[in-house]
Amino acid sequence: MTLDPAIRDQVLGTVPSLRAFAISLSGNIDRADDLVQETLLRALAHIDSFQPGTNMPAWLFTILRNLFRSEYRKRRREVEDADGRYAETLKSHPEQTGRVEFNEFRAALAKLPSDQREALILVGASGFSYEDAAAICGCAVGTIKSRVNRARTRLADLLAIDSVDDFGPDRATRAVLAGGGRS
Amino acid sequence: MKTGKTVNLQPPASSEAKAEDRDAMGRPATQRKGEVRLGREVQARIGQQLRALYDDVVSEGVPQHIADLVRKLSDQDDGVA
Repeated sequence: MTLDPAIRDQVLGTVPSLRAFAISLSGNIDRADDLVQETLLRALAHIDSFQPGTNMPAWLFTILRNLFRSEYRKRRREVEDADGRYAETLKSHPEQTGRVEFNEFRAALAKLPSDQREALILVGASGFSYEDAAAICGCAVGTIKSRVNRARTRLADLLAIDSVDDFGPDRATRAVLAGGGRS
Repeated sequence: MKTGKTVNLQPPASSEAKAEDRDAMGRPATQRKGEVRLGREVQARIGQQLRALYDDVVSEGVPQHIADLVRKLSDQDDGVA
């Protein structure tokens, strides 16, 4: 069997985003690349079960997430500090360093429970609909919405506490501060 | 995503917006305008930062060994276990 070049291009086109998701799950670039590789092996071996015209990214993300989950169950001890290592991994991108704001954001993101971080990334960064994200995670749409909302609220709390100065007062706050000095 | 042709990523559902008309206590949103405003700015910033982090990896494209793997597998697919 030879793979349809159009399908192959769809697979390749999904790889960059798939890697970003894998890094957010595993907290480790090498492990992420292994996951992506294993995902592609599985996907191409079962390409017949992919229906042309349906959502290739969602299909590949689902395979990768399932692989990660089953691996996680097998090797729990190895990955249990994934949350902590996620922040470390992200520091290895030198082009983004030097911004206090960014580092604080990474640290805050790493503090989220993994199911909330996963939902937020799928919807807020990968660009999936709530419905697709729910299908990828094998849960209800409402569950994804609630995870995303909790993730956003928690991040806002963490960032408001840790970096008020970095976010800077908005105009309304500034106006209040400027006008309210005497009273 | 690089190949946009048959990729059906729908925009995130926008059904959330309605819930903002009233807060959890049932008060109209106008009573907490400042709060909502700040919330939106923070949320927008969170969205930007999140995408920036993610896109940093996305911009690395397809690593050579993965591109090679996919090409190899798609030419001789029978060998895949």
